[in-house]
Amino acid sequence: MSRFSREGEIVRVVLSSSEQELLGLTLAELRDMLIADQDEVLWRLKPQAHLSCKETADAFRELTSDDLLRSRLNSIELVLSTLSGAELDEADTAAWMQSLNSLRLVLGERLTSEGIDLTQEKLPKSSKVTLYCWIGWILDELISAANELLD
Amino acid sequence: MITPTSAAGTETLTPDVATTTSTDLDKPWKVLVWDDPINLMSYVEYVFQKLFGYSKMKANKLMMQVHMQGKAVVSSGSKEKVEFDVFRLHEHGLTATMEQDE
Repeated sequence: MSRFSREGEIVRVVLSSSEQELLGLTLAELRDMLIADQDEVLWRLKPQAHLSCKETADAFRELTSDDLLRSRLNSIELVLSTLSGAELDEADTAAWMQSLNSLRLVLGERLTSEGIDLTQEKLPKSSKVTLYCWIGWILDELISAANELLD
Repeated sequence: MITPTSAAGTETLTPDVATTTSTDLDKPWKVLVWDDPINLMSYVEYVFQKLFGYSKMKANKLMMQVHMQGKAVVSSGSKEKVEFDVFRLHEHGLTATMEQDE
C-alpha cells in the first residue's frame, strides 16, 4: 500500500513510526547542512543560472540565494511538522516533494563524489545507497498521488 | 552529471517567442533544463506540468528530450520571466540555465 493516497483535493500521508523517525532525522540533518552552508555537495541545490556569462550568473545567485534557502527551509519545516500523518493540500504536497527531492539530490551527489555511478542498474550495497533508493521510492509514490491532483 | 558542453543540440518546443528584434535588449531569452543522473523522470515530468501548466503529453516529451538529448528548452520570454522560471526550477532541484537568443 502506498504511503500517500489522494482523497479529493488532498493527499493523505501515512508513514510507519520507523519511517517517520528516519525521515525526520535525515531532514533535520539536511536543514542543519543548509544553514551551515559548508558542505560542498550543496552546490547541487544551487546551480549556475547562466553558463557563458559569469556576471549574469553571479547577479542571479545574489538575487535568489536567500529566497532559495528560505524556500527549502520552510518546506523542510512543513514536512517535519506533518511527518506523523496529515492531509496535505497542494502547497503542502509541493513542500514534501521539494524536501524529498532535495534530500535525494544531496545524497546522490555525495554518492557520486564517492565514485558511485548512479546510472548503473545495480548499485553497490551500503546504508547510504539504501537510504537514497528508499527516498526515491517514497518520492515516486508521492508523485503518483500528486499526479492524480493534476489530472 | 552530464556536462552542458557534452550535450547534444536541441530544439525549442514553445512557439510563443517574439521573432522580431531590433536590439540585443529585445532578443528573447530561453530556459534550458539539463539532464542529470539523479532526478527521477517522473519528478521532472511532474515539475514541467506544475510550473508551466503543460499537458502530461508535452511535459513527457520535454522530459524525454532532456533525458535523450541532454537538454531541452522548456520556456522562453522576457529576461524577467525566464529569471523567475529558472528560480522556480532551481527551487524544485532541476538544473536550469537561461540564455539569450543569438
